[in-house]
This record gives sequence, C-alpha cells and structure tokens, in this order.
Amino acid sequence: MHKAVPIRAASIVLGLLGCWGLDLLCRAFLRDSEQRLVVLAGLYVTLAVSLNLINGIAGQFSIGHAAFYQIGAYTAGYLAFFFYLQSPLQGVGWLLAMLALGMATAALAGLVVGLPSLRLRGDYLAIVTLGFGEIIRIVVQAIDLTTPAGEQVGGALGMSVEPRIRIVGLVWLFALAAIAVSRNLCKSSHGLALLSIREDEIASAAMGVQVAKMKVAAFMIGSAFAGGAGVLLAHSESFISPSMFPMDLSFIVLTMVVLRGSGAITGSVVAALTLFYVPEYLRGLKAADGTALTVTGATLVGWILAVIAAVVAVRWIAYQYRGPRKTRLAGYAATFFGALLVGRALGWAFSFFPALSGASYEVQKLRMVIFAASLIIIMLLRPEGVLGRHEFSWDWLARALRIRRPREAVG
Amino acid sequence: MSLLRLEKATIRFGGLVAVNEVSFDIRKGELFGLIGPNGAGKTTCFNLVTGMYKPTSGRILFEDRDIAGLPVARIVRLGIARTFQNIRLFGSLSALDNVVVAAHLHRRANLIDALLGDPRSMADTERLREEAMGYLRALDLGDVAHAQSRDLPYGKQRRLEIARALATQPKLLLLDEPAAGMNPAEKEDLADTVRRLRDEFGKTLLLIEHDMRFVMGLCERIVVLDHGEKISEGPPEHVRNDPKVIEAYLGEAV
Repeated sequence: MHKAVPIRAASIVLGLLGCWGLDLLCRAFLRDSEQRLVVLAGLYVTLAVSLNLINGIAGQFSIGHAAFYQIGAYTAGYLAFFFYLQSPLQGVGWLLAMLALGMATAALAGLVVGLPSLRLRGDYLAIVTLGFGEIIRIVVQAIDLTTPAGEQVGGALGMSVEPRIRIVGLVWLFALAAIAVSRNLCKSSHGLALLSIREDEIASAAMGVQVAKMKVAAFMIGSAFAGGAGVLLAHSESFISPSMFPMDLSFIVLTMVVLRGSGAITGSVVAALTLFYVPEYLRGLKAADGTALTVTGATLVGWILAVIAAVVAVRWIAYQYRGPRKTRLAGYAATFFGALLVGRALGWAFSFFPALSGASYEVQKLRMVIFAASLIIIMLLRPEGVLGRHEFSWDWLARALRIRRPREAVG
Repeated sequence: MSLLRLEKATIRFGGLVAVNEVSFDIRKGELFGLIGPNGAGKTTCFNLVTGMYKPTSGRILFEDRDIAGLPVARIVRLGIARTFQNIRLFGSLSALDNVVVAAHLHRRANLIDALLGDPRSMADTERLREEAMGYLRALDLGDVAHAQSRDLPYGKQRRLEIARALATQPKLLLLDEPAAGMNPAEKEDLADTVRRLRDEFGKTLLLIEHDMRFVMGLCERIVVLDHGEKISEGPPEHVRNDPKVIEAYLGEAV
C-alpha cells in the first residue's frame, strides 16, 4: 500500500465530516438568507478553483468562465422543465443526476472552447473565450418557451427550476472535490506537464508532452466543475435568468484567480472567499438605528488619504527597510494604528470645510468602489498574490502546530 | 547501421531556400557535428529532424522510418530529443520538475488516475521523480534539484537542458550550440559531459556548434553547411583543410 493512502483516506473522511458538520451548523444557526450566502461562497470557491485549473495551471487565458456556470445552470433548468414531473428520480437523487449531466454538458462546451486554444494564445484566446461567454448568455436570453398552459418560460425573464434544494454541505463537498482534483493533478507528473505548457509550449512539445490533448483536457475539467456549480446554483435558488451570469461574474472569478498567488489552489480559495464576502459585508452594513450607513465627504476623504499613506508606508517597510524582522513587524502594527488615528484626525479636520462635510454617501453604494480599491491595494502590497507561494498541506499544518519537525532537505 | 538519414531534405520559406537538398547519414553511437557560418541553416536542419518544420521535399529517416512532418511530441517518443540554442527551460519550475516533465513521457498512470489521486499515479510520479533525480546527479546538478530553474547560473541551465532531453530516453540527442556563451573551463567540462553521454549512456549525438575548436576536438564526423547547402563532410582533419570550408568561413581560423 502506498504510504499516502491512510492520509488520503483520513482527508476524505475529514472532508465528509466537515461538510456534514457545516450543514448541521448552518441549519441550526443561520437564517435562510444567510445560508444562501454560504452556498454562494462555496460556488464561488468552486468557480475560482476550476478557473485556476485553466488559467493558472495550464496558462490558457480564459475569461468566459461564467458561460460554463450558466450552461450547467440551464442544463438543470431545461431538463427539470421537460422531465422532472415524469421522472422516477425525485429530490436529491434528481439533483445528483443533474450534477452529472450539467458537468458533462459544460465539459462538452469546454471542449468546443478548448479547440481554438490550440491555435490561439494570450489575448487572442481571451477574446474568443469572452465572445463565447457573451454568445451563450445572449442565446439563452433569446430562447423563449411557452408551457401548454400558455405561460412563458426562459428568455430574459428567466425560469424557475424544480425542485428547490439548498444543501450547504453538498455545495461545499463539491467545492472540496474541485480542490481535491486540482491538488491531485498538481502533485502528479500530469500537472507538471500542464505547468510546462504554461511556461513554454514549444519546449513542452519537444519534451514529448501532448500539448493539444493536455490543453483541451484542462479546459474540459475546469468547465465541468463550473457547470456543476451552475447546477447547484439553479437548484439552490430555484430560479435562473441570464442576468445572473453577466460578464462581470467572469471578471470577478478571474480576479480571484489573479489574486491567488503562485500557491495556486489555497490562494484561489482564500481569494474567492474574501472577494465574495467583502461586498456582502459592506452591503449589510447598517447604522445603529437600522437605516443605511452614511459617511460624510470629510470622513471619506480623510480615510482615503490615511489609506494611501498606509500603503506607501507598508511598501516602504516591505521593500526598502533593511532592519530586523521584529522592528519590521512593529512598523506594520504602528502603520495600522497610525492610519486609524490619522484617518479619524483628518476626518475631523476636514469637517470644518463645508464643501466636504455637506456631502454624504451611503456606504452600501460605495461598496464596489471599496472593492476595487482593495484590489488595487492588494496588488500594491502583495504582488505575489494573497498567499504567495504557500500551499496548504497536512505537512504544513503539522509543522505549523509543531507536531512534526521541519522537513529535512531532500536530494 | 544508420540511425538518422537525411535524403535531399529541402525546406523553402517563400522564396528562401533555407535548407537545400542536404543529405547525410549518422551511424549509431557517433559523435556527429553540424557546423557552418551564421544563417547556414543548421538550426533549421534541427527543426526538420525534430518535426518543428515539415520539409518541402526529401526524406528524413530515423531507424529506416520516414519521420518527416510527424508531430513534435511523436518524434520525441520515437527517440529523438533536443536542447535549444536559446535556453528554453520551464522557468518557474524547479530543476527537478523540469526533468520530471520530460520523464513524464514514460509514465504508466493516465490522466484520470492522476485526477483521482490514485495511489498508482502517486507511485508513478515518485518513480519519475527518482528517475529525474538520477539524470540530475549524472549531470552534476543534484545539489540544485530544488532551485527554481530560472535562478540557476547559465552553465547549469545549459546542463539542465541536457538532463531534461536525456530524461526522454532518446536514442539520438540533438544539442543546439551547447557551448554558446561558456568560458573555456566550462567548455572543457561540457566536452567531457558530451563524451560521457555517448560512452556511458550509449547515446548518439548530433551537435550544432559555432566554436570550431570545440567541435574539431570532440566530433568524429562533421557536416558543413553554407547557405543551406552541404559544402563538405568528413572527419575533422578533412573538413579543416577543405578549401570550400575555408572560403565559407573566409579568413576565420578553422
């Protein structure tokens, strides 16, 4: 037996238990609207990890990922519309069957998009994938169906999907499956072959890597997981419409992948969760009396200046300062608290200018601005990505918890 | 027995005839040199043999089988590997992983096994890793196995390219200007390595080189190209004194 088998088995059991536990916790403590957010977060993680397979690992710049998500969702939607009532499978059984079919359909679409990637590179491929994403959205928007009862279904109005099943545990189990598959791939020589295509396609072929086959395979695997996520979305929301899959969605998922760092998989997960929850958190911000939270122009300008100063300071400490690590960490802490103080102080100072103190803004409406600004800040402070080259592993966890001694140098 | 035979291999790019009816014959176990002034068509010849270009006419026989125009990856599988004149390592991968990519050719597990993390696939990858480590050690790169390949010093990058080509387990190894940019000591080292590839690993070698002294001291037979045509062929002494070769190199000490 291979020495990794017990660890593998333990990981699977732990993953199953974790998802089950998460499901129980969500049911026990969260409202329906909050459960929905946990589901969406899981779907975003799946999307980011699956796009990472295409963009990050195989190096094929694809920016139409929402299309595969949509294809999965609409496969589930249309099949439910035509067949659910007569189907012997009901409830979760139906959902699992849809999951398989949605993945297969999206994989097929991945094959269609993967083929041009054999001839196109970089920006040209990006344009094709972008176009593909738009085509799918517009085609779906154009298809109208009328039920025997004369009811209009599909098209721009969207369609309802039967049955409504929202299982947090299943969604996260699927996300874990996407993570596990990516990770297995990265640990095998097949993953290295994919990475070599990203690095230098010509040299890769000259080393005997079947470049065309591997590229298309990466597209198909990545799309399949996005399609599966779409199926889960459709059944969780019980409603789908083309406006749920805008081009922005592809770009947000792409941003998650770009921010991932070269520690590709763990970074994708962390970036996906952060980028998903930050806007949601800001959306939910309320003032003490329950009305929308507003800030005056003075406060806003004060904070903007403080943040800029803090970014400059952190960059200086990170790249210019050559002192010991402790002073450096103290410097970061000082910058953080200093920025809080400066922000307050500037806000107070600016409040004497009527032009600034007169204007007021709702934080909720600023959320995409804040989102964009935080992206810029991350790129400035962590050009290597949120997690840099760190990748989660049991070994790493054990070392972090000091269970195992540092790995001895190999070779 | 001839391992590789070019029969009137020709390639045209538009009006330019880059390689014109070049024929030669490499026997098993030979150290064979391909030389010529800049733009003579040496690298184009390599690209014909490795499948990067398809010849306009003529035949390229490897072990008596016409390989002209086969896909690159296919030709590697048949047993021809190459290094690149302008180093083309997989920069962000470690030296070891660079070699594993090449050894990947001899994996047993398929992609599905790899995705599912099948223990057979894991064992397979480990086997390839060990194999790759062996090639690194053979080329004195054992100590830098885990360094990112783009951070390696130039000489080591060149050696890593050879290690990588070797890991595909070729019968014929094509080295494109392996000594380019090396200092005399490094060249000496490289010459030893090349001899070892033949004597210990039993490879047949075809090398393109600019440095006359290097080639003359190393190769047993040499073909000289100029303007895409073969102008001379034979052992170093013969080539060195061939008036056509001297004219092609015009004044350069041969």
